[in-house]
Amino acid sequence: MTPSQSAEDADLAGDSGRRLAGEDLTELLAIVRRVVGARVGSLPIAEDLVQETLTRVLAAAPSVDPGLLEPYAIVTAKNLVASMWRDDDRKRRNQHRAADLRAPESPEAQALIDEERSAMASALGRLDEHERALLIEHELRGTDTRTIAEEEGTTPGAVAARLSRSRARLRVEYVLGLDSGDPPTDRCRPVLLALSSADRRRQRELDAATHLFNCDFCGRLSEPLLARGQRQDGVLRIPIAADPDIVKARGSVRELAGRLGFSRTDLTVLATAVSELCRNIVRFAGSGELLVELLEEPRPGVRVTARDRGPGIADLEAALRDGVSTYGGLGLGLPGVRRLMDEFAITSEPGAGTTVTITIWGKDPTT
Amino acid sequence: MNSGPALVSILRQGSTLIASIHTALDDSELVRFRTDLVGQIGEHRCRGVIIDVAALDVIDSFAALTLRTIAEMARLRGARTVIVGIQPEVAFTMVRLGMGTGGIPTALDLEEGLALLTGGADGDRRRS
Ligand SMILES: [Zn+2]
Repeated sequence: MTPSQSAEDADLAGDSGRRLAGEDLTELLAIVRRVVGARVGSLPIAEDLVQETLTRVLAAAPSVDPGLLEPYAIVTAKNLVASMWRDDDRKRRNQHRAADLRAPESPEAQALIDEERSAMASALGRLDEHERALLIEHELRGTDTRTIAEEEGTTPGAVAARLSRSRARLRVEYVLGLDSGDPPTDRCRPVLLALSSADRRRQRELDAATHLFNCDFCGRLSEPLLARGQRQDGVLRIPIAADPDIVKARGSVRELAGRLGFSRTDLTVLATAVSELCRNIVRFAGSGELLVELLEEPRPGVRVTARDRGPGIADLEAALRDGVSTYGGLGLGLPGVRRLMDEFAITSEPGAGTTVTITIWGKDPTT
Repeated sequence: MNSGPALVSILRQGSTLIASIHTALDDSELVRFRTDLVGQIGEHRCRGVIIDVAALDVIDSFAALTLRTIAEMARLRGARTVIVGIQPEVAFTMVRLGMGTGGIPTALDLEEGLALLTGGADGDRRRS
């Protein structure tokens, strides 16, 4: 229960956020400009494409190995340009579906619905029986992880982990089913799975970066697996730009953590901390985002990263002391948040922005 | 501006105002609530104010400050404030956050809150 805060913590926690904070972002921007420029020249749309690419890359960053960001950015830029030329509306809709399988059905052409249904059916068919049964129980029947865990004599965390692996596989198979071609190499499927499951270690083992560079097939299919900032395997990205976003964000985080079987007290503690961090973003930076990750080891937990590109905090030490007042007689609420959380880390650079990472671990009710 | 169901309701019962919050409120909604409530305290020359916060999912630093401000402004207008319905886990979190109710009396529910106002200061069950 000791809140930890040090430069080392911040390094660990910041990882992708930090990587993208300074020069790397500039470098990435230059690469994307080159890719887009080479294809559309100086058309007015070029800068839009550059910005859209960056937005997608940033959204996917938490689940991509840092070494993969560059190829991923190139692939994303190429795909965006291509889909602009083709005005490939259908593909874009499928991207959305691939990222959020539970998106409500909107009225669409019957042919498209049939096509998607058969892609989903064949995707489900490629999962093993256990994976399929679990997904159907949870996603279709709405049984929560706690109940499933009780039935199987395991923990909600273990069920959540299996669910997340099964969803990753289902997404890969679904995207493969929608695409007419077969994967050109044996490596394609494992690479796509490592991307879909946000498994960085596996991404490195497979040298996914090189593969993405060289394989057009995976270049095309990897984007819907990662992009769009929808929920992907327990990583939820929530943009924060105004007061109502704060209430929505704490509700979403509570809902997500509730699936891990957290107690009402832990859920309230987490929601309160999220509320404080979001308020800082709205008040001081204007806008920013939350990344919410579900953790499995050593026990179920939730990590929330709140980051912005606002003015930053000049005196971190002072901001972490109780009673420092910045607006309306209140401080940044950071000392309180730190007290509420099991882990707390902050990095801030004046003029560049602030990243706060908090973690709460589920308390095992049996101990 | 709000076309949906009311976020809060403010009712007068004798010289007491009963304000119920029906859902989670964001900061600007909290500010509007404060303005409306304080306005009505002055208008009706109330002696007591009960704020029912049972529907608040979270009482963070801003919500706590808003409640304290309302109580202070009510006091300056001669009215006492009681907060009712704070959920146990919300109370626990407020304490850990370092944000008590700042000496505002609290009560379990509306009934207890009314008893507290009519029974005078002796009945205070402070939770701060
Ligand atoms: Zn491939």
